[in-house]
Parts: sequence; structure tokens; C-alpha cells
Amino acid sequence: MLSFNRLVINEWLKMSKKRSFFIPYAIIAVALAGLAWAFKRWGGDMIGSAFEYTAMMASTSGFGQFAAMLAVIFTAGLVASEHNLGTIKFLLIRGQSRGKVLASKYATALLFTLSLFVWLMAVGFASGAAFFGTEAAAGVWRDLWIAGGSALVYSIVYVTLGFMMGVLTRSTGAAMGVSMAAVVLGSLTIPKSFYKYVLFPNVDLSVYSHGGQPPIEGMTLPFSIAVLAVYMVLFLGASFVTFKRRDIA
Amino acid sequence: MTQSQNIHGDAAVLSLRGVSKKIGSKKIVDQLTFDVHEGEIVGLLGPNGAGKTTTIRMIAGLIRMTEGDVFVRGSSIRNEWKKAIRHIGAIIENPEFYPYMTGYDNLKQVQRMNEWISNERIDEVVRLVGLEHAMKKKVKAYSLGMRQRLGIAQALLHEPSVLILDEPTNGLDPAGIREMRDYLKTIAREEGISILVSSHLLLEMEQLCSRVVVIQDGKLVTVRTVGESGGSAPEEKNFVRVMFRVGRFEEAKQVLGSQGQAEILQVAEEQSELLVALRYKDIPDMVTALGAAQVPIYQITELKQSLEDEFLKWTGGNRIA
Repeated sequence: MLSFNRLVINEWLKMSKKRSFFIPYAIIAVALAGLAWAFKRWGGDMIGSAFEYTAMMASTSGFGQFAAMLAVIFTAGLVASEHNLGTIKFLLIRGQSRGKVLASKYATALLFTLSLFVWLMAVGFASGAAFFGTEAAAGVWRDLWIAGGSALVYSIVYVTLGFMMGVLTRSTGAAMGVSMAAVVLGSLTIPKSFYKYVLFPNVDLSVYSHGGQPPIEGMTLPFSIAVLAVYMVLFLGASFVTFKRRDIA
Repeated sequence: MTQSQNIHGDAAVLSLRGVSKKIGSKKIVDQLTFDVHEGEIVGLLGPNGAGKTTTIRMIAGLIRMTEGDVFVRGSSIRNEWKKAIRHIGAIIENPEFYPYMTGYDNLKQVQRMNEWISNERIDEVVRLVGLEHAMKKKVKAYSLGMRQRLGIAQALLHEPSVLILDEPTNGLDPAGIREMRDYLKTIAREEGISILVSSHLLLEMEQLCSRVVVIQDGKLVTVRTVGESGGSAPEEKNFVRVMFRVGRFEEAKQVLGSQGQAEILQVAEEQSELLVALRYKDIPDMVTALGAAQVPIYQITELKQSLEDEFLKWTGGNRIA
């Protein structure tokens, strides 16, 4: 376990020592502060408090989708870049099993995604508090959790897809392209019954909140969670099996 | 110690036993068997496409073997990879690093993967390769030679018993190649570790290694001892090839030709050089004979058959692989 933590530290340093590392955090901070200001100026009484503002920003219909894209962009290269740099051959002869190495990379991808959302919520709340006050109406905490939680799940699914593409293609560009395309195309829904078994309509769990209508007839929250779980197992299974068996030539 | 379950494990640090790699129906490496002993520098030599890189990568466990096994200090790469790889340090092709991190940060990455590496060990290895002053610089600012040295450092950090290097001099200029060679020799001496180095550069191998393993088309061709350390001591009755550079060329030719013990192999009039085959013990007689005929002698050199000649003989000459 200790050695796994060290591997995660290694991976985190490899990400964070890049000069571009602060960019997603900066984008989120600037956008959220700017939007808060804009809503205050032109939005009238649309937003009541920092809670409401944060929930709105975190949700997949707000800034959450964009945060997911940022997470995908910065984690898609985790495996592929080792191949590009040629460092993979040194990483894999250090006595740490391939499964462990890949798991540490995936854990780092999840940590990074989580950190983006923590940051998004923190900056959202801070700028919300500055412009709209912190008066908590009934049920705001619940809304906040639903918005943030579902956007986080949404991001993790796409990050996992990007992660798998990175392992399979060994190309950062391909991994990024495919998963970004998936994020964009995912919002289109084909109103056919078979489509409910496809990943996309199930990714955004927030549609079930407040008695909302599912994208396709017959879908329920447990159904979507089950579909997501199956896809996640597939993505990770494909990643690990490929990574462990691959000849590093 | 309950050493080595395999029968060949005398003092072999690294043993390959029938190692093969098949891709489809093509045999990239075919039944390769050889040993690297304690403190030895062994060259893995072969033309392009002979299977050197594949072999090196199979030893490190980067490529799966189809058949056979590699033992490192008695542990199998196939079944006890973690135990076996602990004894291997490797530079595979060019050493690669995270360019946006400093040299020190890159070595720290290695340390976190092998917990027994102490900070003192990092300092020690950095001193050995002479990079003390560059540790705080980002690797992207390193020259190729510095990267090579950092590569050696990262390969030595975990105190391996054997260092395997795949084409370590690729892309280096003559000075860099020489530096690399000196470092490897120093390391073999000071750290007391064995080295297996692959290359297609014959001269390099000749100057660096005590033994070469020659492969072609994935098959073992021959294992040879090279260099002054390994070569057989000059025996009195052995024939040697000696080049004489003389003044008064025609007379010299006559003198040498008339001596029964010597045979003139080659005549190079422009350089006034004569290549003569004779017994080792007869060399002084020949010099005396030339001296008696008042032939000035400028140079006498024994010509050893170079590794290059032999290599071309072993691998079937000018065939481009």
C-alpha cells in the first residue's frame, strides 16, 4: 500500500510539474468569478445565494460539462505520454507490477478530477458569496450535492473513457479527440429504445433529480447506474488487460 | 545461500536459456543461450535486425518470451520477475526522462519506486557520473552526453548486479562514445557489476568488451573472447602477421623473400610496407637479417585479425540485413 502511494505521488508530480498544470484551475477561477459578476449585473434576481450559484455552476448543464472536458484533456495523456516520451520502458522495469503502475495512473486521474471539482465548488461558492450572499434556503445543500455529485460521476466516466483510449492507442491526441467527441456527441439523444443501453444517455444522473424526465422512456436511476457500472468495468478491463500484456517494443 | 536451482548457475549473473521470440510464424529470436559472469563486460553483437533489441527487452521483461527463460542471480524473469528485475539496471536505447523536471526530480521518481534507495545513494551515484552541478537543471536543458550520464545514474541507483544497455552509443559523437566507454569501464570496476551491451559497432565492442556474443537472424553465431585481456598469450610457435615499413623497399623484399621462415602476404609499394607471415619466435632473426642487409626499418607492427574481419566472416559478409 505504501509503495502504491509512492507511485501515485510520482504520477501526481509528473502532472503537476508541468508548466500548464495551473491552467485548468485558472480557467475555472476566472470563468466562475466572471460569470458571477455578469449574473449580478444583468441577471436581476435570478440567483438567490452562493449555494444556488455553486449548484448551478457545478451541474452538467452549467460549468460541470466544461470541467469534465478539462479533466479529460489533462488526464488523457497519462499513459500515452509515457509512450511518446519513451519513459514507459524505464517505468516498467522498476520492479513495480504493470497492474500497479496503471492503477496508480488511474488513481491520479481520479484525484485530479476530484481536485478540479473541489476547486470549482470552492471558487463557485467564494465568488457566489461575494455577489449574492450566503443565505441558505431550504434544500440548498441537497441541490448542491446532486449537482456536484452527478457532474463528478459524469466527468469520471469520460475520464475513464479517455484513459482507456490512451492505453489502447498510445496517442494523447487520439485519446483526447475520442473522449472530447464523446462528451459533445453524448448530449445528443436518439429516441429509440436500444439507445438506452448506450453509454451517453446514462452519463448525466442529474436528469433524475426533482422528478425529471429520463431521456428515453423506461430508464430509471438504478438502471443508469447499472449501465454506467458495466461500461466502467469494460473500459478499465480493456485498459488493464491491454497494458499488462503489451510488448514494449 | 541456497543458490541457483539451474544447473548452469555457477558464477553466472545473467543466463539466457533457449530464449525465443516468435511473432506470427517469424522467429525474431531463436533459441538464444549464453551467460554473463560476475564482473564481465559482454557485447551482444549483430547486424541490424539480428534481434539484439528484442533480446535486451526480453531480458528486462518488456517483451514476452515465446520460449525459454532468463535467470538473473538465479531468479526467473518469467516466474519471479520482481525478484529478478531487482538485479537489473537498464538503459534501453536512449535514456528518456521527463524533460520538464530537474535531473534530481527524475532520480527521485526512481527512488519512490525502489524504497531501499537512500538519499545518500543518489548523491553517491550522481558523483560517480559527475553530474553534481546539473542536478537542479531541467533535463530539457541537458546535452545528449549529460542525458547519457543521467541514464547511467538512474540505471545504477538501485544497486543492480548487471547493467544491460541497448545501443548506448547511438547518436553520440566520437567524444561522447569515448566518454560512455570510459564510464562503463569505471562502473564495472568501481561498482563491480557485470555489463551486457548490445551494438552493431564492432570497434566499440572490441574496445569495451571482454567477450562478444554474435547473433544473426536471431540465432547465436559464436561467442568470442576479445581484447588484450582475453586473447591467447603470444606463443612462440604461433604464426603472426607482421607489417614491416622499410626504406630500400626492393632489397627488403628480397631479404624477406629469401628467408625460409617467412612468407610475404602483401606488398604495398607506395607505403613501402610488407606484410609478412612468420612464427613469433622468428621475428628477431628477421630483424637481424634486414639489419645485416642495411635495410632501414621504420616500423614493425603485428596485425591482429580485427574483430571486423571475423565479424564479416561469421555473419556472411556484405549481405545487408
